Amino acid sequence: MATQIVMDHNGDSRHKFDPKDAEALLKAEERFKQLTGSGFTAAVRTPSGEPVITRRFDPTAEETLFFSRLVGG
Amino acid sequence: MFAKLHIANGHFRRLLTNGWRGARASWDWYCELGHGNESEARGLRLLREWLSPEQLAQYDAHRHFDVTGCHSGKRYRIRHGIGTNIHELDDAGRLKSGWCFVPRDCLVAGDVMLAQKIALETNEQGALAVARKFAPRWSAP
Repeated sequence: MATQIVMDHNGDSRHKFDPKDAEALLKAEERFKQLTGSGFTAAVRTPSGEPVITRRFDPTAEETLFFSRLVGG
Repeated sequence: MFAKLHIANGHFRRLLTNGWRGARASWDWYCELGHGNESEARGLRLLREWLSPEQLAQYDAHRHFDVTGCHSGKRYRIRHGIGTNIHELDDAGRLKSGWCFVPRDCLVAGDVMLAQKIALETNEQGALAVARKFAPRWSAP
């Protein structure tokens, strides 16, 4: 199972999906596009654990993390 | 006599600092077990999953961790918090200047620190472009 984690006021919301399920994959891709289109940053981790920003939906990513646009505090 | 008072004051301050640190570590642990605020606990769990082993050890010991900016190679210290919690370090590891940027949404501390870490490690210039600079007032342990 793959997971899309969206940071929110509850800590985060997790959306799990089976990457082998075409319908679930399409839904996950739509979620990715919707979030990044509204200013969220998507990040995945390399096998060594370093974060990498991703701008395209990666169907092989086990975990994708989303956080909202950064602003000056 | 003044020297003795000064030493006693130093000991007392260290005692207070260690006590505070221990209490905060216990609270984090308590939260992570699900007894505290669940949102805070979830944020801290996520942060811990994404920190490198070195950063996690540093966070557990001091409630802050260091990251390296991907563009400049500069080091930044992110301490536990939801704002005005990033400090640029000089070559000697001293606090140089403060930077404040946060995710637009209202998030818990773990999430804020994780977003800040990812931003500095993957898009340092973009993060600093929106950040507000401030003079550091916090003294690192």
